[in-house]
Amino acid sequence: MQSYIDQLIQDGYFTGVPREVVYAIAMVLVAFIVLSVFVAPLAGVTSWLERRVWARMQSRIGPNRVGPQGILQWLADGIKNLLKEDLIPSAADSKLFSLAPYVVFVGFLCTFVVVPFGSTLIVADLDIGILYVLAVTSLVVVGILMAGWASNNKWSLLGGMRSAAQIVSYEIPAGLSVLTIVFLAGTLSMQGIIKSQGWAPWDWYLFNNPFTFAAFFLYFTAALAEGNRTPFDIPEAESELVAGYVTEYSGMRFLFFFFAEWGNLYVIGAVATTLFLGGWQVPPVTDDAILLGVLQFIVFFLKAYLWVFIAMWVRATLPRVRVDQLMALCWKYMVPLSFLCLLGTICWMLAFPNGNQIFSVAMFVLGLLILAYFLKRVLFQIRHARPELYFKPHI
Amino acid sequence: MNETAPVQSQGFYTEDMTISVGPQHPSTHGVLRFVVRTDGEVISEAIPDVGYLHRSIEKIGEKVTWHGYVPYTDRADYLAAMFANQVFCMAAEKLAGTEVSRRGEFCRVIACELNRIASHLISVGTFGQDIGAMTPFVHALRERETINNLMEEICGARLTYNYIRIGGVGYDILPETCGRISEFLDHFEPIVDEYNRLLSYNKIFIQRLAGVAVVSKEDALSYNLVGPNLRGCGIRWDIRRDIPYSVYPELEFEVPVGTGQVGTLGDSYDRYWVRIRELQESCKIVRQCLKMLPKGPAIAKVPRKFKPPVGECYARVEAPRGDMGFYVVSDGSEYPYRVRIRTGSFTAMSIIDKLSKGIMVADLIALIGSLDVDAPEIDR
Amino acid sequence: MGVASYIKDIKDTVTSVFEGMAITFSHLVRRPMTIQYPDKIPVPIQETLPRRYRGILEVDMDICTGCLACERVCPITCITIGIDMNKETKQRQFTHFDIDICKCMYCGLCAEACPTGSIRHSQEFEGASYNPAGLVRHFVTQPAALYKPKKGGETDPKLAAKVDTGLKYLDEFATPDGGAAAGEE
Repeated sequence: MQSYIDQLIQDGYFTGVPREVVYAIAMVLVAFIVLSVFVAPLAGVTSWLERRVWARMQSRIGPNRVGPQGILQWLADGIKNLLKEDLIPSAADSKLFSLAPYVVFVGFLCTFVVVPFGSTLIVADLDIGILYVLAVTSLVVVGILMAGWASNNKWSLLGGMRSAAQIVSYEIPAGLSVLTIVFLAGTLSMQGIIKSQGWAPWDWYLFNNPFTFAAFFLYFTAALAEGNRTPFDIPEAESELVAGYVTEYSGMRFLFFFFAEWGNLYVIGAVATTLFLGGWQVPPVTDDAILLGVLQFIVFFLKAYLWVFIAMWVRATLPRVRVDQLMALCWKYMVPLSFLCLLGTICWMLAFPNGNQIFSVAMFVLGLLILAYFLKRVLFQIRHARPELYFKPHI
Repeated sequence: MNETAPVQSQGFYTEDMTISVGPQHPSTHGVLRFVVRTDGEVISEAIPDVGYLHRSIEKIGEKVTWHGYVPYTDRADYLAAMFANQVFCMAAEKLAGTEVSRRGEFCRVIACELNRIASHLISVGTFGQDIGAMTPFVHALRERETINNLMEEICGARLTYNYIRIGGVGYDILPETCGRISEFLDHFEPIVDEYNRLLSYNKIFIQRLAGVAVVSKEDALSYNLVGPNLRGCGIRWDIRRDIPYSVYPELEFEVPVGTGQVGTLGDSYDRYWVRIRELQESCKIVRQCLKMLPKGPAIAKVPRKFKPPVGECYARVEAPRGDMGFYVVSDGSEYPYRVRIRTGSFTAMSIIDKLSKGIMVADLIALIGSLDVDAPEIDR
Repeated sequence: MGVASYIKDIKDTVTSVFEGMAITFSHLVRRPMTIQYPDKIPVPIQETLPRRYRGILEVDMDICTGCLACERVCPITCITIGIDMNKETKQRQFTHFDIDICKCMYCGLCAEACPTGSIRHSQEFEGASYNPAGLVRHFVTQPAALYKPKKGGETDPKLAAKVDTGLKYLDEFATPDGGAAAGEE
């Protein structure tokens, strides 16, 4: 994108204005566009979709009144929250209390700078792409701790402490799984990682070797834990801590935390797609640049959103783990397994310097077999319970 | 309560914090309050504070007639309303020497066992929700809706039935309702299996509950636990078997006990598992009753102004939360002199303080859910 | 812990999560059980309720004999009836017949005690009101005469129809054996 701005300056659009100011204005403008056109509706529609998916999995209908099939529910919720009274408890630290939601929001929004929507559709292709994402998402810990402490409420404090421990611990398996891929790709830049994969499933890093296959699930679990999603939603465990660190928040501040959570789901999906699923790679069907760009955008979006759907599905299925079990899971199970995957991938790279096409195809077939077995179990459940079937997603 | 004493450990100056779980809390079952002293995660003591739902049901018994008190007994534990109806009517019948019609006895058992299924569904559903699994709760409520519809067909109300009356039952169960009950049971038994696959065998669920809040046999007996709480410790005591009443001697059913299949005998998972097994056993009982339902009047002839002779009487039934007993004293008039209700949840509260020493806050919620305490029963 | 139990833990977690997710996925193709009331249902919900449903009480004053059985038997004293003597006609008449539907327990004891079936449970259940006064139903707006049941059946056709409805209600609702409906057994 920087080259585009340079081109505009050379064409003489911004005479008399210093170069840095043009860059600054461009950055703010782009951030605003990305935020309002993409992130806000995305987080909103994700919240609506989560409620619909949850509801259908629980044999009920979700919100379906506001707008066609309820798709504007998030607008109604947003407006309602904006109109609410801005309550700050008198004994709370009001500066930190007000600042905390924004810190959390910044922590997740900054990752959109390096999310590659297409081969040229990226805000800034940083050389340290994936490391930047890992670093910036840790900012939410600061925000959550601020929220927990500034609320002056014992429940919030408990929630904030738990969350800090959780997020910091799960950075390690996530980072190690990412490192596995970085070794394979040879670069930290997001576009570089995608370019070193291909469009066919057996060219993806997911099926490259059994260690990356395991690393993917480790990454996804660790990312769910970082995003405070069930089964790891202890900081906001409704039934235990009332609402954890968001207990004292109401109105728009409350919504900011959840805005960040739903948006973060998309970031998790986007990073998972970039690293493991081949990103925006499409088979070369057309030469037209714009059509190719649109196709890449759609493919990337669908792949990332698949993982958002799976995160919602996991939330509907699983109970919560306890805090000490969460720590045990991280340090006793996931960290050693991540190290194992890393070492395994390195050994694999030494054994097959140019990759092993046969093994990749075999892994792909294995993946398909697991999917087929899953569908078989689904059919078994339907046959066993003999329910009334209804295939349309809308009511 | 003692003042929180600051603790000096390893040069750090720490204090326990006292937090109040409830009365407004998403997962205390009803309006309960626990004053919990904890150092952040590990609890040092949890003292229950009851009485938020006290409605003086026992005192009201002295002001209304015997027949008129039956709707009030529904409200003593609204999730298991049939059982309170039944035990009050049993006590009144024992006092007056009334014989219950045989068809009425079978209708009573059908209604009570269906109510047991409904109550256990709520119990395991809310237990799953306390642990964090929100889907099984809604599935349990979905099944309970069908039971509510059946009850609505039989007696006209969905929660507070006023169905079991002195001398029998208030309304007869018609043949088409019997057909619908069978259909429901055919539909329900595979659903329990599905529920198990979704929740009971889930490794995360098992790990949350295995070995948590273990109640030993001696503790269970000395703290007077009843119902699934007692059976979860391995003691096979069920009023339907050991102090039989109604037509239970003629019915075949098993009494499930906890076996410590995951973790220790007497932990939270055992109590939960006993309730799941009781769901299946109740289905068997209802099927047998539907087959054995005799012809005849649904209620015996009982005078409108029911005046039992002077005396006192205690009757007990196996309610979903344990042994529910009614102690009634009559002074010969058409108003009872004293009604005293003994419920299983009230005694289960006393063991919470003992069990909660040294467990975590999340385990306290699991403990309260596994004991299936119910605020209306505790406070009446 | 040994390596065997470590691997078993991992295997158990993966299989139970897999199974749970299969169950929730299978629910996506099942019909939801929600009834979208009140607009997306084919018939009004009051018509789908069973015969014996104990909704809000209603009184048919034309066949009420003023025996006060319902007031006496009500366990929560939600029925208040006033009867006095009309000076001109020397007949007893109602001054007021109030039922407080917010106190009412919907237990059905009054409907069972009524000799003519004039006090009944309707199928209505939406009784919400914006003020507490709206929760008391007044069934006598101006003083009305008591009904005197005639020996040998009712002759006035309108009243006869009402008496029939009342007795049919009593037969279905207040007879424990289910009355005529159970007669086929």
